[in-house]
Amino acid sequence: MIKKWRSNSLLSGLILFGVLLIPFIRQFLESVMVLHMLVQLPLLVLVGWLIGITITRNFQSHFDSWNSNGIPGTLLFVMITMYWMIPRTLDEALSIWYIELFKYVSLPVIGLLLYDSWKKLQSIGKSFIYLNYLSMFGLMAWLYIDSPIQICNNYLAAEQKILGWGLLGITAFMVLYLVQAVFTDQTEEAI
Amino acid sequence: MSSLVNKGELKQRNGQIASYLIIGAVVIAVMMVFGILMLLAQGGMLNLSAANFYQFLTIHGTGMIGAAAFAAAGVMWYFLRDYVQLSKKIFTWNLVLFLIGVVMVIIGVFSFEYASSWTFLYPLPALSANAWGTVGALLYLVGMLVLGVGFLLLYIDTGRAIIKKYGSLGKGLGWDVISGKKAEKDAPPPTVVASTMVTIVNVTALTAGATVLIMNIINVVNPAFTFDPLLAKNLTYAFGHIFANSIIYMGVIVVYEILPRYTNRPWKSNRIFLIAWTMSTTFTLLIYTHHMLMDSVMPKWMLIMGQALSYANGLPVLVITAYGALMIVYKSGIKWDMASGLAFISMFGWTVGVVPAIVDATIVVNHVMHNTKWVPGHFHMYMGLGAVAMLFAFMYYLAKVDSNLETTILDKIALIVYTLAIISVSGQFLVSGAISTPRRWATHFPEWMGPALFGGIAGVFMFLATVIFIVHFISYIQVRGTSTGSDFDDKKVA
Repeated sequence: MIKKWRSNSLLSGLILFGVLLIPFIRQFLESVMVLHMLVQLPLLVLVGWLIGITITRNFQSHFDSWNSNGIPGTLLFVMITMYWMIPRTLDEALSIWYIELFKYVSLPVIGLLLYDSWKKLQSIGKSFIYLNYLSMFGLMAWLYIDSPIQICNNYLAAEQKILGWGLLGITAFMVLYLVQAVFTDQTEEAI
Repeated sequence: MSSLVNKGELKQRNGQIASYLIIGAVVIAVMMVFGILMLLAQGGMLNLSAANFYQFLTIHGTGMIGAAAFAAAGVMWYFLRDYVQLSKKIFTWNLVLFLIGVVMVIIGVFSFEYASSWTFLYPLPALSANAWGTVGALLYLVGMLVLGVGFLLLYIDTGRAIIKKYGSLGKGLGWDVISGKKAEKDAPPPTVVASTMVTIVNVTALTAGATVLIMNIINVVNPAFTFDPLLAKNLTYAFGHIFANSIIYMGVIVVYEILPRYTNRPWKSNRIFLIAWTMSTTFTLLIYTHHMLMDSVMPKWMLIMGQALSYANGLPVLVITAYGALMIVYKSGIKWDMASGLAFISMFGWTVGVVPAIVDATIVVNHVMHNTKWVPGHFHMYMGLGAVAMLFAFMYYLAKVDSNLETTILDKIALIVYTLAIISVSGQFLVSGAISTPRRWATHFPEWMGPALFGGIAGVFMFLATVIFIVHFISYIQVRGTSTGSDFDDKKVA
């Protein structure tokens, strides 16, 4: 059952990756700023996560040799996602082919690393990363909503604001999730 | 509980605590020197350039808040570990990150002349009129970020440990007792309640702080990226006010823990106590808006909320704790010493120190007083005679229970001198405020100089008293772990 689920996840990951590579889909997602950052990029990470379920199991010793506590993989994840939050990178992905290629390679790779790292991270590390992204999303929301200038050549200023509100929505959701997580009874759970 | 712990392990753990306290106390003493220099300059006794004055102002504020918060975190950790399983590794990491952050801040301020005051209010870090450059601003802001990371890790750990033991942060605040699901006798102890409150407010504050710090960093690196200054100010004070306020809520754990040991009377969490702490948790998160009362563009409801909740926040925990302290001591036959004396005096400092703040939180008063020295009058009394006195109380307590070191008459004189000196320093600020002396001004008119000069001289006595406290603590560190007697904590102090 578990084996079947794992092979399904690998297949799902590859299918999703294939779908995201279809020119029409790719162009559509990249034509709207909010879809580019909040749909395409996370889906590419999800590709890596799904593939990682099988890959990390088959090469567990390799991953354990350099990512035994999950911190190196998480650091790479944080650095790459921070890179893709910079407005200029979205612009360059549309204008420069090798940046686009980097996007299609780097995000699935960090998705895979996230899968391997998250289960190894201690709860303190997970909480820290969560809060780090909470403040980061809040900041990016503020930046995109409040910026008095057009940040990207390829996207209008109005699109920036929509993206900013999207990021603010994610921030609000993260706050709500955090509040329910710390105020609901977790006595039975291993923390 | 401490008596059940292996003594070798206890010695090692107390070593970490002692590191926190000695670093905190020494930094506080050094910051006093900068405070004295500023007051003497304002009093016309010292020729200090404006650039130096604002550098001193920046390091004084940053250092005092940072060091007091750091030492108070050590106090909280010391007592909380008796109830929940805390991570020693995280505790050490906080110390390392604190030192790295402090070094960055010091280099930023003194080598690169960064001087925006500890509030780093946007857009000042980037707009200095060439008083400082990009490197200084970045060193300061990134240093603060590093400090924040250490504290955030620490509070994530306290939150994790409390949730693991009690089920949720709500239960750490005793909500199940408040709602009647649990009996009062099963309520979490005061230390856990206070630590839960501090965890909630400081994780919120540090997350807000990280956001506004990174925003400032972006603005310093590329001034084309501008942000809404009003939102920046809100986030800055959501960080700064809450974080500074939390120091006393960590420090008060000293009162909850040591007065019962001295009086052999338990300090239990009853329903009123728990409700008061829940109220303070909520209010502390919301009342930072009393720093915005002069910002007429703020939504009116937020300003009204700032005034109303500031009144309310001053009362619940303070009244419950001050009343509790009086009751626990009353006819207890307590044998006063340095620790119990300082802990008791700290309640006076907290109670008296909060009054000017409540006055200043009144909108019509705030419009007149907020930019005067009235406000430093409040926080010097509140922090100096409240929070910092709690830290010194703990230093004497630890020295007493963890060694055979005795206090001398010099320590008792220092206690009296410290109390009178901090009252004098705070008093001169309040008097200065009453005669409309502006705060954060390097140069004073002759009419404003008298109180400042008086404060500077009083500050010298306060510094000397603090040095005596520190010398006693250093003497303890040299002989720590020499305490005899099987019951490590309780019998020795009773």
